[in-house]
Amino acid sequence: MDHIVEAKGLTRKFGDLNAVDHVDFTIPPGAVLGLIGPNGAGKTTLLRALLGLTEYRGELNVLGNSPRTQRSRLMEEVCFIADTAVLPRWMRVEQLLDYASGIHPRFDRSIALSYLKDTDVRLNGRIKNLSKGMMVQVHLALVMAIDARLLILDEPTLGLDILFRKRFFEQLISDYFDQERTIIISTHQVDEVQHILTDVMFLNRGKKILQRSMLEIEEQFVQLNAVGDSAAKAQGIPHLGSQSILGGKAVIYEGIERESLAPLGELRTPSVADLFVAMMGGDK
Amino acid sequence: MASTASLRRFTLLQKEIQEYKLSFVWTPVIVAVVLTLLMFASVLVAGRISAMGDTILEVIMAEKTNVSPTITINIDDTEITSGDSPAAEPVYEVEVASADDAPSEEDWNFSRSWRFEPEKRDKPDYESSEVGSLNPVLNVINGFFLLLGIWVTTSYLLGSLYNDRKDRSILFWKSMPVSEWEEVLTRFIVALVVVPALYIGVSMLLQLSFVLLAMLMVWRMDMDPFVTVLANIRFGDLLLDQVGGWLMTALWVAPVYGWFLLASAWAKRAPFIVAVAPVIGIMLLEGFLLGTDYVYAAVISHIPHYVGGESVVGFYINGVFWQEVDLFSMFCGLVFAAITLIGSIYLRRYRFDI
Repeated sequence: MDHIVEAKGLTRKFGDLNAVDHVDFTIPPGAVLGLIGPNGAGKTTLLRALLGLTEYRGELNVLGNSPRTQRSRLMEEVCFIADTAVLPRWMRVEQLLDYASGIHPRFDRSIALSYLKDTDVRLNGRIKNLSKGMMVQVHLALVMAIDARLLILDEPTLGLDILFRKRFFEQLISDYFDQERTIIISTHQVDEVQHILTDVMFLNRGKKILQRSMLEIEEQFVQLNAVGDSAAKAQGIPHLGSQSILGGKAVIYEGIERESLAPLGELRTPSVADLFVAMMGGDK
Repeated sequence: MASTASLRRFTLLQKEIQEYKLSFVWTPVIVAVVLTLLMFASVLVAGRISAMGDTILEVIMAEKTNVSPTITINIDDTEITSGDSPAAEPVYEVEVASADDAPSEEDWNFSRSWRFEPEKRDKPDYESSEVGSLNPVLNVINGFFLLLGIWVTTSYLLGSLYNDRKDRSILFWKSMPVSEWEEVLTRFIVALVVVPALYIGVSMLLQLSFVLLAMLMVWRMDMDPFVTVLANIRFGDLLLDQVGGWLMTALWVAPVYGWFLLASAWAKRAPFIVAVAPVIGIMLLEGFLLGTDYVYAAVISHIPHYVGGESVVGFYINGVFWQEVDLFSMFCGLVFAAITLIGSIYLRRYRFDI
């Protein structure tokens, strides 16, 4: 299979609102895709369509399955964390592991146990008595013990403190990710995941604004930090967007020779967050 | 690590029982233990203070005067009255029953389709028509337990497709490779088979302790517990009555349970109101507009204990009653149950957000 996900004309309407509006995209195997967009951009709806959790129109193929008709089979190879703290609160941790062992053909209990060993989580404790951070650790241990080909994370670290967030993504990349797996992450904390992404996709009002690999972003986009007089000059050149920095402007350009900008100031590859802001907001 | 199909089914059922352990396991066990202790206390202290003790004594005393309480069950049925006394109520059939009169005994036995009566030969000096006279008392215990179980099941069903949507844990359940029809059918089977099995199981243990305590009591009263108590119980009938009775009842209540599941899958809040309000609304509307009560009649005949519409029959097999039930109504109920299940599966699939 060439692609893990193939979508053509993917659309989901809620009444008059196009939550996802004719989106085409493919995701190659081995990618870590960041799905980025403002609130209400349609990220969750898009991910739910991939998981067969919502109706949709258009063509959609995930690991060779149609999420519409083959959802439960798809779930054997796709894992997801759709929100923080959604584990069943009445359960004990070991009951959760029992359940996954009995239900999921690709779940390996010993792997989950080895991850949990390094945490303060007690196996006979109830989920509801865990802190939010510990609950996320349990969920991550469970997910990492499943030998899935596609992992979808929708705001997996919302509401966690920075230490937990950092640890979450570190563990995900160092212990879980390999070239066989594909991960899709949607998050607001773009800066924190940027270094683990291989691809990004921007979504706004249901439409795809941009999809590039990180390599392509480095090649195609450049940020110029111009101070003093150069700032005005920099803004005179057609650009995607700009924002104020100390004593000048940071201007982001697409498809422009770096050499031509070099005299105006310091050049760098824009961060995903800055690129996103520039494409959404234009000049600030 | 291939999960076998049976492990999978077991895991799905186990999860339901784990979640509702208090309702499904501890409630019947605690009630049974409390009742046993009460009976035990009454046997020790006074022998006949408690209602249970009184009931046994009434049964036993009644035997002495040949008026068995078995006949207190209302059988409004001409089939079992003999031809020469059409006006007489079947209740008094006992008066013509002689000790060795087999056909009369046949008339007497409510569950004649399933009867077996070896005692008649083994104990020639004991009147055969009285054998089994303690069965109704034990059936009452079982009926009480099943009512308790139905109460618990109703609240289980109303919450079963609602609570996990409310606390959003449905997003976890949906990440597991379990289809919606498995989720819905598992809950339906838990309600219709697993919970009743647990409650009947505990009820049978309670009945056993009841019998042992009754034997202890009559022994203390210088009577022979084997003759007075044991010989008055038909254990085979008891088992068939109670298990078979529920299986028949289950066929009738299936649409009600299915409806509860649908309400649970549909409700944005308060599944109980969602389940009850529209039904009452339709009944009232029908009454006002058409002046009829078809909906009421249809609903009531599928509510436990009013099964079949007219007679208040407990959860045991009463051959005559079950022969007379309206099979068409039962069939319609099962079709309705299937529709509610399909609806629940659809809602669970696509309309789970609250």
